[in-house]
Amino acid sequence: MIVFKTFLKILKKNIGIVALYTVILVAFGGFNMKTSDNNMNFQDSQPSIYIINQDDHFITENLIQYMSKQCKIVKLSYDKNAIADALFYREVSYIIRIPQGYGDDFLNGKNPQIVIESTGDYESSYADMLLSRYLNVANLYQQIYDDGKVIIHKINETLALQTDIKMATQVDTTQLSQATFYYNFMNYSLLAGCVYITCLILSSFREEAISKRIAISSMNTKKHQLILLASNSLLALFLWLIYVLLSFILVGQVMFTVHGLFYIFNSFIFTICSLTLAFLIAHLVSNKNIINGIVNVVALGSSFLCGAFVPIEYLPDIVLKIAHILPSYWYIQGNEWIETVETFHLISLKPFFVNIGIVLVFALVFIVMSHVVVKRNNG
Amino acid sequence: MGNHFKYALKILFRKKILIFWTFAFPILLGTFFQMAFSDIEKNEQLDIINIAIINNDEFLQNEVFVRSFEQLSDDKSEEQLFHTDYVNEEEAKRLLANKKIDGYVLMADHQLQVVVGRSGINETILKYVTEEILQTDKIINDIIEYRLIQEIERNPTILENIDSASSQIYQDVFTAIKDSQANILDQSSHHLSYTMIEFYTLIAMTCLYGGTLGMTSINQVLANMSSHGKRISVSPVHKGRMILGSMMASYFTQLVGLLLLFIYTVFVLHVDYGSHFALVILLTCAGAFAGLSLGTAIGTLVKSNENTKTGIIISITMLGSFLSGMMGITMKYIVDKNFPIMNQLNPAAMITDGLYALYYYETFQRYYFDVISLLVFSGLMFFVSYISLRRQSYDSI
Repeated sequence: MIVFKTFLKILKKNIGIVALYTVILVAFGGFNMKTSDNNMNFQDSQPSIYIINQDDHFITENLIQYMSKQCKIVKLSYDKNAIADALFYREVSYIIRIPQGYGDDFLNGKNPQIVIESTGDYESSYADMLLSRYLNVANLYQQIYDDGKVIIHKINETLALQTDIKMATQVDTTQLSQATFYYNFMNYSLLAGCVYITCLILSSFREEAISKRIAISSMNTKKHQLILLASNSLLALFLWLIYVLLSFILVGQVMFTVHGLFYIFNSFIFTICSLTLAFLIAHLVSNKNIINGIVNVVALGSSFLCGAFVPIEYLPDIVLKIAHILPSYWYIQGNEWIETVETFHLISLKPFFVNIGIVLVFALVFIVMSHVVVKRNNG
Repeated sequence: MGNHFKYALKILFRKKILIFWTFAFPILLGTFFQMAFSDIEKNEQLDIINIAIINNDEFLQNEVFVRSFEQLSDDKSEEQLFHTDYVNEEEAKRLLANKKIDGYVLMADHQLQVVVGRSGINETILKYVTEEILQTDKIINDIIEYRLIQEIERNPTILENIDSASSQIYQDVFTAIKDSQANILDQSSHHLSYTMIEFYTLIAMTCLYGGTLGMTSINQVLANMSSHGKRISVSPVHKGRMILGSMMASYFTQLVGLLLLFIYTVFVLHVDYGSHFALVILLTCAGAFAGLSLGTAIGTLVKSNENTKTGIIISITMLGSFLSGMMGITMKYIVDKNFPIMNQLNPAAMITDGLYALYYYETFQRYYFDVISLLVFSGLMFFVSYISLRRQSYDSI
């Protein structure tokens, strides 16, 4: 009990850091959770655009109305720098400049020019398609009709034609992808939390004066080690439990389904692996001052490489190939797999259990390695 | 002073862990950034969308649809939008369930139906294209009808030969639609790569992180911080020169670290700093100066041990870097837009913003504002340190 009490004492001193990793998880995890009511119906993607209109004409008005219906018009202060910044930081992906006299020139068949600026991403490509379609339709009707009102009526009538669209899936994909994001991000918080705390506590126990004091005490070394292991496991479990509870609050409904159960199971296995890795590192490192650096390199490094921060599909192939040697990769692959599965049956579960198995193998390797290191240290 | 400089430099370079983290940590972090972000922007561009079409009789008989999708799926064309599989409905459902396609198109009872797996940009574009085909069809019919009426009014005898007349008009309309070109001029800047901000924050972090070097040097001179400092306090040397020598040694070390980082980011990571490299250097020197001044101020003002001082410098650096966009580029934009004063006081944001202004803006106003802000910040920090160091003496006890 004395060992456990000391353990808690040291933990209490450093609770701030653990809280910090939790706050980071909640901040980033929560930041990504947009409120979503009903996602079983199809919703058009709406690119964010900004329109600078210098013309006062009903023709221009109709164009703006059409774009407003199809896109999200972002409100910006009318300042050159503010608009430029908004484009750079992707608050808007497409800027349309309608010059003075546009409406009149259009009616006179001059096919006047519209200046745009775009970020070049898919949102802007779609906005570009929308604008081109409107202008093309407008030009064709302008060639046969003279009356502006008739032209507008015809344009709107044509552009109102819609296709019937249906969603095939019965699973709420938005919530699932939010859950995946949260559990992927947990890779960072779990690793950082486990490694930091374990290293700090074990190194405190290994300070020369303290380890000498322990050595002459009546307690069996093996028992002492075992209690430390149990205390650390308890802490890791506690950390995992808090993160899982938080996921119920942040992600919501989907956590109560079978999908949620799989996310929780996957993260539990990964917690075991993080704990063993933390033990290995703690036995390798005895200098307290470099613990922070190690935590950053291990947790940040594997999170960046394996797709905890940046979605896997955005990572270069070479990075993903390297990532295969890290347990985080297999954990995150497991989460990604859960997101895509619609129904769970025995055959479809195979890839998931392969991932779980690999994470467990990693854990085993870490245990064996720490054993070797401990033996060497004692020798 | 040359001697002071030399010795201070020697002391700094003997602190292996300090040097390792000041030099190697940014390079390591930069490598992570590169690995994580190098493909992000490429992936945000519109890719070829995988779709399927149910090749039932109704679809095959509709020439407009067949031709349109053929054109949009032509892998030799620059305007290719889709990769299309022509399959039966069962197969399409299977492909969609396995996420091999984003959606499929089904023609039944003269109605067009699009089936997708989720709401997203690819699905929206598929819907857009099918609508465009419907709409084009309507335009063709509208114009043909209008033209035919006109022709008949002008020359009623044409009614006898209506088929050839309408096929002529159809040809005309078809050419008109093909030739119709929306007059859009793209004036986008070529410097729109926002992931660059990550690397700029890295430079900012390194500049400020260098403050630990300045702080360490100051500690060497302070009598209440080290035995080295006590020895110096009782020696007959000019303290001002002594401190200046230490400062210069730290500044020099900082610049060496930054030079390494620049070489690494430019030649290995291919970071784009824009075309005004001399101004980038100027800004970085001013940034490193600000870092040095911050370290000095904390070294002199905070009466605590070295670890606490390092902790404070690192916390300020990380908070500053966070606000200037290191952990999420949008953070800088959010702060700039909503709480501009926060980043106007934040030296990390001044450095990041200066580099951003050089990269993206065509004018230099914003850049010089940042450089001057950095100099003012440094001046202020040095002034505070000076006041605190001046006439410092220790009571006899």
